[in-house]
Amino acid sequence: MREMTIGQFYSTDSHVHRLDPRVKIVITFVYVISLFFMRSMVMYGLAFIALLVYIKLSNIPLRYIIKGTKVLVWFLLFTVILQLFTVQGAQTIIEWNFIRITKAGVYAACYLFLRLMFMIVGSSMMTYTTTPNQLTDGLEKMLSWMNKLRVPVHELAMIMSIALRFIPVLTEELDRIMKAQMARGVDFKEGNIFERLKKMMPIIVPLFVSAIRRSNELALAMDARCYHGGEGRTKMKPLKYKRGDYIAYALVVIYLIILIVIKRMLHLSMFDAMAGNL
Amino acid sequence: MGFIDIKNLVFEYFRRDEDGNVEEMIEALSDVSLEVEQGEFIAIVGENGSGKSTLAKHINALLTPSEGEVVVDGMDTVEEELRLNIRRTAGMVFQNPDNQIVGSIVEEDVAFGPENLGFSTEKIWNQVNGALNDTEMNDYRLNSPNKLSGGQKQQVAIAGVLAMEPKCIIFDEATAMLNPGSRRQMLNVAKRLNKDKNITIIWITHHMDEVVSADKIFVMKKGNIVAEGTPKSIFADEKMIQECGLVLPQLYQYVKFLKGQGIISENEAVNVENDEQLISLMCNKYGIVQEVRKSESDTESKIEDNDKRYVDIEDNLRGQTDNSHSTKINPAEGILINNVSYIYNKGFANERTALNNVSLHIGKGEFIAVVGHTGSGKSTLMQHLNGLLIPDSGSVYYDGNNIHEKEFPIKKLRQKVGMVFQYPEYQLFADTVEQDVCFGPMNMDISKVEARRRAYKAIEVVGLPDTIYDASPLTLSGGQKRKVAIAGVIAMEPEYLVLDEPTAGLDPVAAKNILEMLGILQKEHGMTIIIVSHNMEEVAEYANRVIVMDSGEICLDGPVWKVFENKELLEGLGLKIPVGINLLNTLKGTGIDVDVTKNTQIDIYGELCKLT
Repeated sequence: MREMTIGQFYSTDSHVHRLDPRVKIVITFVYVISLFFMRSMVMYGLAFIALLVYIKLSNIPLRYIIKGTKVLVWFLLFTVILQLFTVQGAQTIIEWNFIRITKAGVYAACYLFLRLMFMIVGSSMMTYTTTPNQLTDGLEKMLSWMNKLRVPVHELAMIMSIALRFIPVLTEELDRIMKAQMARGVDFKEGNIFERLKKMMPIIVPLFVSAIRRSNELALAMDARCYHGGEGRTKMKPLKYKRGDYIAYALVVIYLIILIVIKRMLHLSMFDAMAGNL
Repeated sequence: MGFIDIKNLVFEYFRRDEDGNVEEMIEALSDVSLEVEQGEFIAIVGENGSGKSTLAKHINALLTPSEGEVVVDGMDTVEEELRLNIRRTAGMVFQNPDNQIVGSIVEEDVAFGPENLGFSTEKIWNQVNGALNDTEMNDYRLNSPNKLSGGQKQQVAIAGVLAMEPKCIIFDEATAMLNPGSRRQMLNVAKRLNKDKNITIIWITHHMDEVVSADKIFVMKKGNIVAEGTPKSIFADEKMIQECGLVLPQLYQYVKFLKGQGIISENEAVNVENDEQLISLMCNKYGIVQEVRKSESDTESKIEDNDKRYVDIEDNLRGQTDNSHSTKINPAEGILINNVSYIYNKGFANERTALNNVSLHIGKGEFIAVVGHTGSGKSTLMQHLNGLLIPDSGSVYYDGNNIHEKEFPIKKLRQKVGMVFQYPEYQLFADTVEQDVCFGPMNMDISKVEARRRAYKAIEVVGLPDTIYDASPLTLSGGQKRKVAIAGVIAMEPEYLVLDEPTAGLDPVAAKNILEMLGILQKEHGMTIIIVSHNMEEVAEYANRVIVMDSGEICLDGPVWKVFENKELLEGLGLKIPVGINLLNTLKGTGIDVDVTKNTQIDIYGELCKLT
């Protein structure tokens, strides 16, 4: 469990790391949405190149990203295979008993695989290059207009960043509790599903008790450090757009323009693409 | 009027039952008065539950008085609008390193306070830089706190307080969860801040050895201050210290004993302030001057001896492993670790060798202490003893059988080799003590009645009363909780009991209680005890054999006295030799005939008596 690296901040210095978190949120958002309008290999090619450039600029080793994505390989395979069997076109490739694979199915499976892959890698790039605090700062600032709607944006952002901060702490604790109960003779690998669920009790209860104790202590520590909500709070790293951020926005626009041009060249309107997806 | 002025402070709170009805009123502080001047280094000591932390929380307005008043730097803590200013003036460092860090990288965490105070961005950066420099944490400023050691996290917590420009810092048992090396470092940071920046320090602890150099000590018991004065005057009253559930630092115990026996005079005793002073005093007084030359050659031959000892250990181990010329070790009995290596995150960039070719034999009936600094591989080694970790190379044998063979009954092994992890009380989960202690035996193939019988016996063995069966584990004191957790493992009737820092975080009386219980388990129940410890004094007092680990390897292994003869090596690893053993060895070095094979305090007393 501790070897799960997907989406965990990768500490290094790069152009992408230095970008304003708001820019990275926009990039991720635009990229993921754009994937839904793709209907040809050329467009996926563009998405792939864009992703590679982004990774290159972020100085994160490709190996590290691939390793992180490995966790999801079963999920990916499952959805792809499902697609392969369920999408039925006219041209049959293989037919055996009730199984029938068609050309349309193969295409659909390939597209789905690429789309999911790009989506996962694209969105994890945001968390690889942005600390949880920056991310929440970014969200807080982007959503600050919601304050007028009485949405407690600062508090929600604070909750999120604390949750992210404590994930590794609680993971470690979980590991320790599991080992301790294993040492007391629990075998998590044996028994049916109900017995296994019952075996979770000696793990869940201490974990909850500990989480509550920790949150009590943390609340006290935050009080002691003069925390009193978002009012009058200043920032060590206030979000201000710099030159790099404007360049990044410009690149996003260029990406979109190329995408639209390719689409036009392929004589496909956006509406066709959407209809095709549905 | 002082910088901090507390007058007749009373603090009461209500304990409520599940429906919110008041069950009883608890008086945590009753009529406490104290005065602290700006720039003083104050210590507040007392056992757990004596009210010292409650008192601390009043000084920075986390709690407000039920009666009486608390004034900090002219500000009364009941005034709501002054509260932020008070908290900024008197910052606080808490006990648990993990639960007081908010930011996900060090510098952002240090900035948390200044951000709350609304400082300008430029000022925040200045404050953060200054605070990180003062705590020598600048190199770690971009690290994630999760990657730091406990001691480093506490340094970050100090930096977080410093960044708010405090006039006073309260350390609320900030060292309780740290190892001795980190504790000393924390204390040094506090002393430096006190001296260089004139910051008032309020140091709360139950470790008396930390308060030796305080300006003034307040001793608390049951919500009252029962004594106050300079360290010397407080330490002179050993009876009062014991009544308050505290223990005199070992150095002062020796000084008192030597004085009582007439071995050193009253005047000489007064001047002793650290281990070295006592040792040089004793050497000057009793060392045989004309034999200085001899003692020099003695130390030389001692060094040779040391080298030889190394070889001895290796020989010994080889004897164990190839099973040829070993006389006293029978590899078919006990636990044998043979050339075990273990690597974390094998094959990845963050690969780390935790154990490197470790070989070890653990026989029946031993009391072994495993020591070494954090990250030396102690805990990893322990988890190999009952098969929780599988070695990357090498093998582990139990009574001559390889535990990683397919047909080996691993569940049975886990029952035979009981394991108590650090802070085991955090793993309690059942509604009652009885149910929790029964959990282990119930997982074995025995009847309910038998499981319950074993549970009752275990509860008795750890020294808890039978009235505790139906209590919820959550309502017990820290020491009791730990005993319940240990009982939960003992109830499985193991032959070997492995404990990872069994006394960490406990006050001295509770710690002593646990160790004495382990001693009884070994002597009367024939259990083999293996503890991981950072506390050399408890190692010397209770263990028969010490294993010293460094960077994943065993660097010393032998009887306590023999291992402690390697003073330079141990001190290089940050392990401090207990003062008594140090004294005996040094006296021997000056040519006095003392028996250096003694390691418990009472035996050393006996040796020292021979001097007169």
